[in-house]
Amino acid sequence: MKGLHVVGVSHAYGDNRVLDNASLMIPAGEVVCLLGPSGSGKTTLLRLAAGLERLQKGRIVIDEKVVADEDHHVPPEHRGIGLMFQDYALFPHLNVLDNVSFGLFGQAQNQARRRAMDMLDQVGMAHHAENHPHMLSGGQQQRVALARALAPEPKVLLLDEPFSGLDTNLRGEIREETLAVLKASGVATVMVTHDPEEAMFMADRIKILGHNGTILQSGRPHEIYYHPRHEFVAKLFGMMNRFESVVENGHVEIPLGRIAAKSLDDGCPVEVLVRPEGVTLKSDGGERSGAGAPVDVTSTHLLGHDNIVRVRLGGDEDNGKELYVRVHHAFEPELSKRITAGLDPDYAFIFSLDENGEESGQKTLNEAQPTRPKAAE
Amino acid sequence: MTRKFSWSWFNVWSVGTVLIAAAVAAPILSVLYIALTPGDQIWSHLASTVLPLYISTTLQLMIGVGIGTLIIGVGTAWLVSTCRFPGRLIFEWALLLPMAMPAYVIAYVYTDILEYAGPVQGLLRDLFGWQTKRDYWFPEIRSLGGAISMMTLVLYPYVYLLARAAFLEQSVCVLEASRVLGRGPWRSFFSVALPLARPAIVIGVSLALMETLNDFGTVDFFAVSTFTLGIYDVWLNMNNVAGAAQLAGLLMFFVVVLVLAERFARRKQRFHHTTSKIKAMPGYELKGWARHLSTIGCALPVLFGFILPAAVLGGYAVIHFEAATDTQVFRFAANSVLLSALTAVIALAIGIFIAYGVRLRNERIVKVMARFVSLGYAVPGSVLAVGVLVSLGALDNGIDGFMRDTFGFSTGLLFSGTIAAVTFGYLVRFLALSFGSVEASLAKITPSMDGAARSLGHGPFRTLRRVHIPLIRGSALTAAMLVFVECMKELPMTVILRPFNFHTLATYVHQYASDEQLGEASLAALGIAGFGVLPVIVLSYAITRSRPGYAEKGQPS
Repeated sequence: MKGLHVVGVSHAYGDNRVLDNASLMIPAGEVVCLLGPSGSGKTTLLRLAAGLERLQKGRIVIDEKVVADEDHHVPPEHRGIGLMFQDYALFPHLNVLDNVSFGLFGQAQNQARRRAMDMLDQVGMAHHAENHPHMLSGGQQQRVALARALAPEPKVLLLDEPFSGLDTNLRGEIREETLAVLKASGVATVMVTHDPEEAMFMADRIKILGHNGTILQSGRPHEIYYHPRHEFVAKLFGMMNRFESVVENGHVEIPLGRIAAKSLDDGCPVEVLVRPEGVTLKSDGGERSGAGAPVDVTSTHLLGHDNIVRVRLGGDEDNGKELYVRVHHAFEPELSKRITAGLDPDYAFIFSLDENGEESGQKTLNEAQPTRPKAAE
Repeated sequence: MTRKFSWSWFNVWSVGTVLIAAAVAAPILSVLYIALTPGDQIWSHLASTVLPLYISTTLQLMIGVGIGTLIIGVGTAWLVSTCRFPGRLIFEWALLLPMAMPAYVIAYVYTDILEYAGPVQGLLRDLFGWQTKRDYWFPEIRSLGGAISMMTLVLYPYVYLLARAAFLEQSVCVLEASRVLGRGPWRSFFSVALPLARPAIVIGVSLALMETLNDFGTVDFFAVSTFTLGIYDVWLNMNNVAGAAQLAGLLMFFVVVLVLAERFARRKQRFHHTTSKIKAMPGYELKGWARHLSTIGCALPVLFGFILPAAVLGGYAVIHFEAATDTQVFRFAANSVLLSALTAVIALAIGIFIAYGVRLRNERIVKVMARFVSLGYAVPGSVLAVGVLVSLGALDNGIDGFMRDTFGFSTGLLFSGTIAAVTFGYLVRFLALSFGSVEASLAKITPSMDGAARSLGHGPFRTLRRVHIPLIRGSALTAAMLVFVECMKELPMTVILRPFNFHTLATYVHQYASDEQLGEASLAALGIAGFGVLPVIVLSYAITRSRPGYAEKGQPS
């Protein structure tokens, strides 16, 4: 199978273990995002795949060829990978065109030039071909770096936090352009990021890394957002409202309402995480009409499209507990007013607190081991 | 399917670095080996006769030069970096000029001027009507005091350079805080600026003292019995290798103390900056007599360290034009230039090789070996010369024995007493210069450049050629130039290692000037100083650029 295979890779810097038996598979034509906090070993994974770091344990396979295992190390220049650095690493002494044709040194010069110009055209930088990198803005440098990495037609493209150097306004635009270029080239792409929004936008699949490179969950963006199988994954997308409860009759009761808990046994202690957009607010003066709990509004902040509302639960048991709610901007409750808070079960996730039990039936996963690739000879 | 596992390329760097480091370390290690081997009677003989004299003279020389360079170097650095007075911008670079003069050259010049038959004493006698030496007192130039003065005059720029950089780096905020807290400029200097600059000053003084230990020409001419002179005496006059090596080993002890002091100071230097705000120094506008005193204070070292000697030599060159432009001089100059250029090129190539090797193979053994390469610079030329002779002699004998045993003929001494031996000696001593500057400028290139080039299909050699070398070209050339100039000035090693009857400008000047024929040697001496001005120009350029407020425009990042 074409693409990048990482099989059972462990890596340590001195005593500091950064990867522990990490495995992943990136098929050709897909954009896969490795999303994780700093220290999750995602950059180390990239460097190992690129060959910039010598593999300590495990195996790395590119297009069915073993490029690194315990005994062998194919140097980066023979791996057929493209790599884009966080700081772009454009060569300051070469102009844009020479930067892009840097990796095309095996070809005839005019052919290399044509290919480089083609790439520059694709990223919309053809008219800057004669400029030097220091004359370019951050966004332009990013485009040139992308063109340079793609010019030699790598089998796998590795992107290390490719948008972190750009300011917010520019980021969205560049992100969209980059994705279009990547999709057009059909290269297997691994992108490392710590920004969940970026991963959601770019990825065909997202792999969430916990500590030491363990993959907590892998799936399409929709799955990651609506079906987090791990508390850590659920919390990635921002503040959560947390409740503790116990499973009774296959259900979990929290002040906002009742949620079905299919796979958990009765009596199992659980935590319930509710996304801010999973709390529904109704300005009915706190009159209990069906499900929901009376709450007092403590603050509201208009963010533009959304309105962030903080409310305090008024019930007896959870006296004083504050909730963080995201609602449509049209809903702007008055301060100190008593209203009703309900629950949208799509945004509520249950995780077992029973230490011996499984967390909602999901344990930390490593991807299934791929079929053992044929060792190249 | 072919798979390219290129172990071999990677190992070229490791193995190469270790081999080069071993070659560079060989002279030093052989000196230590001989020094530590219980030898013949010479040691106890030395210990009971001349050794105490060597030790006390060397210590006095070091203390004298240390205090002298400290006062002149720190004083002038403080004046030009924080005060405003007439000529400050000129003094900023002019104070470096004495660096161009080797101590032995100004020693010859001042002896010529100040001795009994010289113009100064002659003028005094004429003025006051003195008849003989007994009628008046005049300091003897060919003495320990004279040697201290000569060396102080040409070595204070080391302290000046580092102290000035330290004063400029000090956040003005710290000084302003001190002023606001009620301390005047003088008390601020002694209680804030000076302590903050102390590590840099220690480094500067250690460098100056290393040069002091290295000096041979001055102490030889003045007959000041230092260790270095002792080594030559025991080696050349008593013909005793072991004794010379043992003295050299003991001298190494002094060096180790200096190196440790320098390293310690460098380590402390890192913790010193509490704020990163660096503003241009406002500069105390000096008033009245302080202005003139400052100008005079900065002018005197330049005058006595460079202008006066250069003028005297220039005058002699004109008067003795025919003798000075003897065809031999040009042959010796060509020798000097060829030898220095050869060394500079090799030193640069090796420096790049090792520095890049360290970058490629971030391994302990490579790093340790690379440090070893830098050791030679601290070791006095006399010690290295002994080490080179001993180790090359052993190598020659080894090859000779091997060839005789295997092929039945003798190769004799292949390397000893050849240009190759001199070049090797220069390399051992000056490799640190090229390695250091190449390493420093490589460090400024972010490692992602390497990663980018490698992932774009370039191997380590091609990456070096297409990315690193174009980026470090400027400082690499500077490094080669520094090595070149140091080799032009080099005396102590050349004297011992040169082939019979082979002269460089330095040995020629040494020989003629020692024979009180300064006129004949004047042009050659001027030539050495002329080449010595080159690094001063580069350094002053760097100084102008490092001046705070000097915009760093158009610099590719």
